[in-house]
Amino acid sequence: MFAQSVLAESNGLYIGDMLFYIISFVILMLLVKKFAWKPVVKMMHDRAEKIANDIDSAEESRNEANELAQKRQSELKNSRQEAASIVNDAKQNGETQRAQIVETAQNDAQALKEAAQKDAQQARQDALKGAQNDVANLSIEIATKIIHKELNANDQKALIDSYIEGLGKDES
Amino acid sequence: MGGESAYTFKLFGLMFDWTNVISGLIVCVIVFCVLFGLSRKIQMKPKGGQNVLEWMIDFTNGIVRGQMPASKTGQYSFFAFVLFIFIFVANQIGLVFQFGWDGHELVKSPTADPVVTLTLSLVVMSLAHFAGVAEYGFKGYVKSYVKPFALLLPINLFEEFGNFLTLGLRIFGNIYAGELLLKLLASLAFSHGPLTMIVALPLEIIWQGFSVFIGAIQAYVFVTLTTVYISRKVSEE
Repeated sequence: MFAQSVLAESNGLYIGDMLFYIISFVILMLLVKKFAWKPVVKMMHDRAEKIANDIDSAEESRNEANELAQKRQSELKNSRQEAASIVNDAKQNGETQRAQIVETAQNDAQALKEAAQKDAQQARQDALKGAQNDVANLSIEIATKIIHKELNANDQKALIDSYIEGLGKDES
Repeated sequence: MGGESAYTFKLFGLMFDWTNVISGLIVCVIVFCVLFGLSRKIQMKPKGGQNVLEWMIDFTNGIVRGQMPASKTGQYSFFAFVLFIFIFVANQIGLVFQFGWDGHELVKSPTADPVVTLTLSLVVMSLAHFAGVAEYGFKGYVKSYVKPFALLLPINLFEEFGNFLTLGLRIFGNIYAGELLLKLLASLAFSHGPLTMIVALPLEIIWQGFSVFIGAIQAYVFVTLTTVYISRKVSEE
């Protein structure tokens, strides 16, 4: 009775209609799945994944940037120290080099001076010797001419030597 | 409307009703065309139609997720999505077209016919029971009828049958009543010339708007109850 009163509003219980609706609904589901649902859901899934990845990679790159900044900071500090040590080294090197140069220059100068002194000494010695001989000869000649007497050349020479030594002592 | 204007044909020994066949076909075509149109040019950055489609999918996914644990949703979100769109369009189509020809009604809301709504609820309940068997095996499924104790068996059986009946008849009642009142208002409008037309026009507009609202609500209720029935079968209570 109940079923009849409900079905009175339909055009009757048509099994065909039921089958038609079930089949058409299944076909509709298949079509919608193929053309609309799958691509969209896949895209939604991809997007969710992409966003998650983006968040992860953003975190990663932020960490990386932090690391890099710290590295740079420490490197900057290091390079500053390095620069300071280089400057110090250079200063020290310069100092020692200067000292060395000065020392060698002094040594050189000393040596030169000594050589020059020696040369001068030698020259004076030579000159004195030359002069001694000349004077000895001259005085022998003068003496011979004056006294016409041949003096012993050796005695004469000793006489002149003593004379000239006294001369050198007066000069120096 | 009603038995007097039955307009049927026979195929493979089965009786078909033209009204249901034509309106069901129209609903299917509309649903498919809309969803097909919205799902063109799918992009990572959604635009226009894709946004609408994703909003609808999110909506039905939300219904399903509210009823069952995420591990069990599986294909049910898809079923709920198609079911929701189908019923929503079926509810609204009778508000837009009421097409008759040669004394026969050809196009109306398919959901204003109890055979159609009971077919849908039959599909839903079959799916729910099938899911229950698939989840717990036939033994576990049968056992669920004698829980928490054996005395409740008749009540449980009656409840299952009641679920099936109320699920189908609720939506039929709402949509059928809406259409019936629309037809009454239309016949009022044409009963006594221009005066009744002026009176009936605003009433018709108001009632159509209200029916749109009811159609949306009923589609939502139907899908929500569908997921409730399925989730009761697949998850421990």
